[in-house]
Amino acid sequence: MEKGGSGMENSRKRLIARYAVDRGEHFEIVTRYDTETTRERADRQEPRAPSLMPRYPAANWFERKIADDFGIRFEGAYDFRPLLHHERWPVGNHPMRKDFDVHRVLEFSEYRPYKYEAVGGDGVFEVAVGPIHAGIIEPGHFHFSQAGEEMLHQEVRHFYKYRGIEKMLEGKSLAEAAPIVARISGNESVATQIALARISAQVEKKDLSEALQARWGILLELERIAHHWTDLGFIPNDAGFGAALAFASARAEETRRQLRDLTGHRFAFDALMREPRPWDREELIRWCRHMSQEAKWFEEWITDIPSLWDRMDTTGILTSGNALRYGCVGVVARASSVELDVRSEEPFYRERGFEPKQESSGDVAARFKVRLMELKHSLELIETFAKEASSEGFAFTETGEGAFESFVESSLGELYMAIELVGGKISRFFVRDPSFINWQALHLMMPGNIIADFPLINKSCDLSYAGNDL
Amino acid sequence: MLRYWQRRFKTGILTEKPEFDARMKELRKRLKKGIAKHFAGSLAIRMVDSGSCNACEAECNALSNPYYDLERLGIRFVASPRHADVMLLSGVLTFNMLPHVLDAWEQIPEPKWCITLGDCPAMQAPFTRTFAIQAPAAEHLPVAHHIPGCPPSPNTIIEGLLEFLETLQNGKQGTGN
Repeated sequence: MEKGGSGMENSRKRLIARYAVDRGEHFEIVTRYDTETTRERADRQEPRAPSLMPRYPAANWFERKIADDFGIRFEGAYDFRPLLHHERWPVGNHPMRKDFDVHRVLEFSEYRPYKYEAVGGDGVFEVAVGPIHAGIIEPGHFHFSQAGEEMLHQEVRHFYKYRGIEKMLEGKSLAEAAPIVARISGNESVATQIALARISAQVEKKDLSEALQARWGILLELERIAHHWTDLGFIPNDAGFGAALAFASARAEETRRQLRDLTGHRFAFDALMREPRPWDREELIRWCRHMSQEAKWFEEWITDIPSLWDRMDTTGILTSGNALRYGCVGVVARASSVELDVRSEEPFYRERGFEPKQESSGDVAARFKVRLMELKHSLELIETFAKEASSEGFAFTETGEGAFESFVESSLGELYMAIELVGGKISRFFVRDPSFINWQALHLMMPGNIIADFPLINKSCDLSYAGNDL
Repeated sequence: MLRYWQRRFKTGILTEKPEFDARMKELRKRLKKGIAKHFAGSLAIRMVDSGSCNACEAECNALSNPYYDLERLGIRFVASPRHADVMLLSGVLTFNMLPHVLDAWEQIPEPKWCITLGDCPAMQAPFTRTFAIQAPAAEHLPVAHHIPGCPPSPNTIIEGLLEFLETLQNGKQGTGN
């Protein structure tokens, strides 16, 4: 299957994911590009493979993760620091190898400091933030090199939330895995459930009815709306404009309640496999129209606050070239003129008038505008889907053999899932959250901006920690 | 901005559950001595995520939206553990977060309480325990109260916090250490 997003000005392949599989005798490294999938072997005794880092900067985290998971060394790489294995991790434990027991109890080892990327020079200093942040936010570490207020460089260090989910799911059927998969990232539960359900349908060679796709589409777009409203409130709030948060957080709450009314859960956890609740088509359409009015009011109001746009315009620019070089996805890519939205490739969406939204300035303002445009479009889509949606349920399969993959456009961007099944049980589970790519490109938006704008830039990208860390 | 104030005037107050205010008022009366002693009149919470899916955090953020407006009850989230009375702990306590969680706990001045939030820290979420998970939290911290749910809704969280305050009033809970 070919995926979009290569861009005309840059004809090289887009790196979507790179991961390894334990084949017993050897390790296999799988690389998913937009146009093809390649497979390499690495010897078990002395596992090595050539690095893609020099050509694909986003290969950095993929390869460091593989090195931690399997103990494979990448030749020609420029970064050999551990990624998942933090300061007190007992060296030599590679959990994704088949001979590593998921229940093994690890002892905390001696503290080994992590060498952060830092810029040197007269008067340049470092600011360390996290893992526990000031607000109610997920844990992660940001390391800044500062010249006064100006950021020279920033390193993102994550995987504090590393729960070992890939390993946890091995040996489970898709049906058994579903409740865990729904809780990888609360931000993208519907998207992740749909990714798993599409794989389940492929296993059973079942076509998903349009009525069922319409129901899932409603939930996926509601998840996006809840998310975009939250961001549309928090972005101005980080620029000191709290009134926007008061307004937008109330709309986000109303969207969560809509999800609850349709699925019995405010985040739609386990919604796909649950018996759908009785719902009122007309009521949902009325709700969408009302919410569209609210969005219109918000847009007119917020567009007219010059001091806010003064903070958002030209802040945290991601150039189109950089977005392509890193293979960025989601709103982050689309705000930098990269035409990439999984929904554009889905006939179901295309036939119902879906149009991807884009901006070109690549700054906080562009990402804000793309979110607002998408929110309004999602409401139109739900109105269309509501006319077709059924109350069908869905059962995840207990069987299956072979390798499968799926893509879903979550509220954060392109979500990629790959699963290998042996005798109905998962032998390898891999999911690449959109944030896994976008986090790596975040530092490109910092130079030339002041550190006080970091929260604004970070929020405008809205990245997941839980989905990223797994 | 005029447009905003017009709208604000027309919308009125969205905040629900006036019964929470009444309950808090009653609690304050009864707890007058205790609250004054422990919390200087209000409860300060430091939320620590030790490896959640972010839904518990989203619901805690929702507590500040106009429908819940938690701060009206004198309960607020603070930026530093050093300003806190309570550590509200979500997540499965990952191997990578445990040392930082214990650091944060140490930074909270006495008297202090640990409240676990959601099914994860009690290891009741669908997750199975792995090498990377150190939950249940009670093995590492003196947990004074638990708010169940996956995630607990904003109203459940408020209920849970009020219940915690009531247990203090009944004298059932000592401090963390």
